[in-house]
Amino acid sequence: MTRNTLTTAGVLLALSTGTALAGDTINVLTWEGYSDPSFISKFEEQSGCKVNATYVGSNDDFAPKLMAGGGVYDLITPSIDTTKLMIDLDFVEPLDTAKIDNWDKIYPKFLGLDGIQKDGAYYGMPYVWGAIAFMYLDSAFTTPPTSIADLWNPELKGKISLWDDKSSIYVAARKNGDMNIYDLSDDQIAAAQAALLEQKPLVRKYWATAGELVDLYKAGEVVISNTWAGYQSGLLAAEGVKVTEFIPTEGAEGWMDSWMVVKGTPNTECAYKFLNMQLSELGQCGVANVNGYSVANPVAAKACMSPEQYAALHQEDPAYLDSLLVWQPLGDRFEAYTNAWNAVKAQ
Amino acid sequence: MTLIRRNLAGALVLGIPFLWIALFMLLPYGIIVTYSFWIKTYPTFKPAFQFGNYLTLFTDPQYLQVMLRTLKIALLVSLCSFLLAYPFAFYLVFRCKSAALRTWLYMAVIAPLWVSYLLRAYVWKTILGTEGILNSFLMSVGIIDQPSDIFLYNQFAMVVTLTYIFIPFMVMPIYTALEKIPHNLTEASADLGMGPWRSFWHVTLPLSLPGVAAGFTLTFCLSFGDFVAPFLVGGPDGNLMANVIATQFGAALNWPLGSALAIVMLVVVLSIVSMSDRLERKGAAGGV
Repeated sequence: MTRNTLTTAGVLLALSTGTALAGDTINVLTWEGYSDPSFISKFEEQSGCKVNATYVGSNDDFAPKLMAGGGVYDLITPSIDTTKLMIDLDFVEPLDTAKIDNWDKIYPKFLGLDGIQKDGAYYGMPYVWGAIAFMYLDSAFTTPPTSIADLWNPELKGKISLWDDKSSIYVAARKNGDMNIYDLSDDQIAAAQAALLEQKPLVRKYWATAGELVDLYKAGEVVISNTWAGYQSGLLAAEGVKVTEFIPTEGAEGWMDSWMVVKGTPNTECAYKFLNMQLSELGQCGVANVNGYSVANPVAAKACMSPEQYAALHQEDPAYLDSLLVWQPLGDRFEAYTNAWNAVKAQ
Repeated sequence: MTLIRRNLAGALVLGIPFLWIALFMLLPYGIIVTYSFWIKTYPTFKPAFQFGNYLTLFTDPQYLQVMLRTLKIALLVSLCSFLLAYPFAFYLVFRCKSAALRTWLYMAVIAPLWVSYLLRAYVWKTILGTEGILNSFLMSVGIIDQPSDIFLYNQFAMVVTLTYIFIPFMVMPIYTALEKIPHNLTEASADLGMGPWRSFWHVTLPLSLPGVAAGFTLTFCLSFGDFVAPFLVGGPDGNLMANVIATQFGAALNWPLGSALAIVMLVVVLSIVSMSDRLERKGAAGGV
């Protein structure tokens, strides 16, 4: 076992030194769009750093990929429910915020989040954010849905989809009136599990990837679901499918993705150049244009976005941001949540 | 000198495969077994020797439920494949007079194996979907007037897809087994006054059982470990063992529990293989 790990580490070390020698290349493990050629090529030209991107499909991919071998990736972008895990796993290193020009422009709300800090040091640089909104197919509704309860409506049997994630527990808990979704008691989790089981016969499919949800709407399989606000609706609009996002009366979860530097990266210089670019107008508008997400640096956003886009992405709407129940690390309660969700799927 | 060279050659010929098996099969099994006794503690898990993971598998009903569902799906796939493959193979071996046609038909069954598994599973989505080919067809011939959603995202779709994908593994061994049966045996049976049905029942079928057993084993084990069909065409009630294992290694970050699940699955598959092996040997010895 140990020898095996050592050999793997050795091989990976050799590989990473190889790439480091080959030039200043940074390997990022990130979401699709966060390293899009539309703005990364410009960065590569200006900085002389080459960027290699590997994409994840879910926040659950970060830990296994980094566990399988350190030394491959230099930067990662987990969401705020996973950042703490990365810190606790000792996979990432503290940031030198003095080397990041626009650090003080970031929304104070994000800099106050526990998930990206430990012992007074920051480990994550807030990058983009959004809501886990809900979405419906325009043509299927005469009265637009307004509540999470609409995903439990028997009349929509076989036309409902829900994200295959522990987030479903957050959704069901809010339907039950439990608003402390990141701090649920065992009884509250059991109640959420019961609600999800009650909903299960109505569900067409639990969606796992953004592309899958888009396909489900396109193929006429579902008419209502939750969604990553801005992303899937944008893809559907491009396909000519008319959907509308809404924040239900029970509120919506908020998410925020941060750039983190993997421990022991040999490419610190390029890594910080990259971080600076991502927080500048180039990176912030680059990702907003590709993914339709709101960004963490409103000053850059104001400078590079049209007034319409700036408003549409709620960049100057602190009330909207405050209304979101931003994801929190669940710590040792994590297992209770995932176990309940797995039990729902097992039935 | 020659002796040394011959020994070296022998060592290489035998040694490399052995090394391969040790490195890529035995070692990983060992690692998985080891993990299955470890214990989950935030943020990951730590070495231990305890049976808690196995206990969880047998006390928490969710795992038993998924195990039973997986067994059910795998059995249904094997059964459907058998019911389709046997008559087909029988026709090819005993009834098809043209050798060219036989080759073509046989290749037609094998050919899909050259296409990516993922692609073949994906295609079933476009066939079975609400706005899919099957629904358009049924509507155009007037059997239904509203598209139906009963074909996709359920266990039916999983069985259909897996049967389609794995049926070559049923056809091949049955075809081979039937082909090996000397024709004069059925002729002898007919001479002794047996009708075609009784000849089939008492001569052909028993002699082809080893092929059937091999086909059952292959299709059963392949569908038992399937991960993609539930993901692509399965519905909310479609979770199989492999999906649960993937969740434990990914989302839940509980490698010990995932390893215990994998070991249980391995034990199930190995018992089926050894059972089928016994059946085949019995068949080969003519003792059915």
